[in-house]
Amino acid sequence: MRCSDVEAFWDEMREGVEARSEHVLAHLRRCRTCQEAFEQCEGVAYCLNCLPTVEPPTNLVPRILEHIASMRSRSRTTTGTDDFARINSPLGELIVAWRETGITFVGLVRASDVETAWERVERRLRRPLRESVPPDWVVEAVGRFFETWQVDMARVDISGLSDFEQAALRKAAQIPPGEVRSYGWIAREIGHPQAARAVGQAMARNPVALLFPCHRVVDASGALHNYGYGIEVKARLLRMEGYLKSGA
Amino acid sequence: MVPQTRTAERKAAASAPTTLRSADSVPSVERFERIVDDYQRRLYGFALRMTGNREDAEEIVQDAFVRAFRALGKMTEEQRSELRLQPWLYTITLNVTRNRLRSKRPTNVALDALADPDALLNNTQEGPEQPEQIVERGTDLALVEQALLQLPMHLRAAATLRFIEGRSHPEIAEILNQPIGTVKSHVHRAVRILRRILGPQVGRIAPSEEPANAV
Repeated sequence: MRCSDVEAFWDEMREGVEARSEHVLAHLRRCRTCQEAFEQCEGVAYCLNCLPTVEPPTNLVPRILEHIASMRSRSRTTTGTDDFARINSPLGELIVAWRETGITFVGLVRASDVETAWERVERRLRRPLRESVPPDWVVEAVGRFFETWQVDMARVDISGLSDFEQAALRKAAQIPPGEVRSYGWIAREIGHPQAARAVGQAMARNPVALLFPCHRVVDASGALHNYGYGIEVKARLLRMEGYLKSGA
Repeated sequence: MVPQTRTAERKAAASAPTTLRSADSVPSVERFERIVDDYQRRLYGFALRMTGNREDAEEIVQDAFVRAFRALGKMTEEQRSELRLQPWLYTITLNVTRNRLRSKRPTNVALDALADPDALLNNTQEGPEQPEQIVERGTDLALVEQALLQLPMHLRAAATLRFIEGRSHPEIAEILNQPIGTVKSHVHRAVRILRRILGPQVGRIAPSEEPANAV
C-alpha cells in the first residue's frame, strides 16, 4: 500500500468501516510520514469538533413564526374577477388590473406573449382576469403617476395582502418622489425594527409596482439592491424621478 | 457558560423526528412551530459555520424555514409522509446559504490566505505556541473558524457536516445530493487544506478520547 493511498482511508477508519484497515495499520506502523498525516487529520477533526455551539438569538423563532403567519393571512383569497388591460407608458408596456375598489396590479410586460403575462398576474392575485377596456379613472391614475410621480391611494386596492405588507407598502408610498429610504427605515417606521428583510420581501411581492413605489426603497448603504424588473429599471425610474443623476 | 459538547448535541439530533406526518392539506402553523423549535438551533449552527457571520446565519435560517413552509404547503400528503425532514431542512438551508454567499464577494483575507495558507497562522501568532493549548484559547478557536471559512463552499459544507455536525457519509450524501464517493473525497480534500492552514502542530493536539469540556 502506497502513502498516497493510505491517507484517503483515514476518515473511513474512524467509522470503523474500512475493509483494508489491516493493510492501512500495517503501513502506518512502519511509515512515520503517514502516521503524522493521520495525527494531523485527527487534530483537524478535533479542532472542528471543539468549535463551540453558538445559540441563535432568542427572538429568532418568534420572528420566523411571525413571518409565516403573515404569509398565511395573505393567502386569504378574495373572490371575483379582476379586469385588466395593457397600457403604454414611458417605461414600456404595462399590464394593469383593477376591480371596482381600485387598481390591484401594475407590472411591466416582459413576457413574450400576453397570455403568459396574463397567467402570471392571475397566479399572483389568485383570481381570474379578463381583458377589458380600461375605464378613465384607471388610465388617469397611471398617467398621473408618470406626470407627478404621485398616486391617489384611494385608486389602489391592496386589501388582499397581509397587514404587514400593506403597512410596509403604505409607508413606501410616503417616500417623496426624488428621494429614497432604506428597508430598515420602513421596518422601524411601521414598528417592526428588526423586520428589514421582511420589508424587502414585501417590496419584492408588491403587486402594484410604480404606484406603490417600492423602487424608492434601497439598501441601508444606498445601493439599489434589487428590483422585480431588474436593477436597470429601478435606476431608470429613480433617474426619471430625479433621485439619480442622468449619468448615474 | 459551558456549551454542550458536540457529542451531546449529536445524540439530541439522533432522537429528533425526521419525518413529518400530517393529515392536513396545508401544514398548520402550530405544527410548523414545533419544527422550527426543533431545528432552529442546528440549522443556525450550520449556517453560522458556513458564513462566519451571525446576521447572515439568522437571515438564512429565517429564509430556509419560510421556504420549507411554502414547499410543505405544496406537497401531497403522501409526499409529506415520505419526507425525511432533517436532511431536507439542511438541504434547503444549504441552498439559501449558497445563494446568499454567491451574491457576496470573497473577502481579501480569504484571497490572501488561499495564496498562502500559512500566512494566517504566522500573522496571528507571535511566538511558537504550545500546541496543547491551541484549543484551550478562544483566540485559537477563532483560527480554526477562520480556516474553515477559507475552504471553497462545497468543501466547507462537507467538513462542517462531517466534523462539526457529526453526520455520517450517507447522511451528508443525502443532504448534498451527491454520491457517497464524492462526499468522501470532499471531506478528504477539506481536511488536507485545513491541515495546511492549521500547520503540522495540529497533529499534536488530538486527544485519544472525546473532548470532555471543549471551549
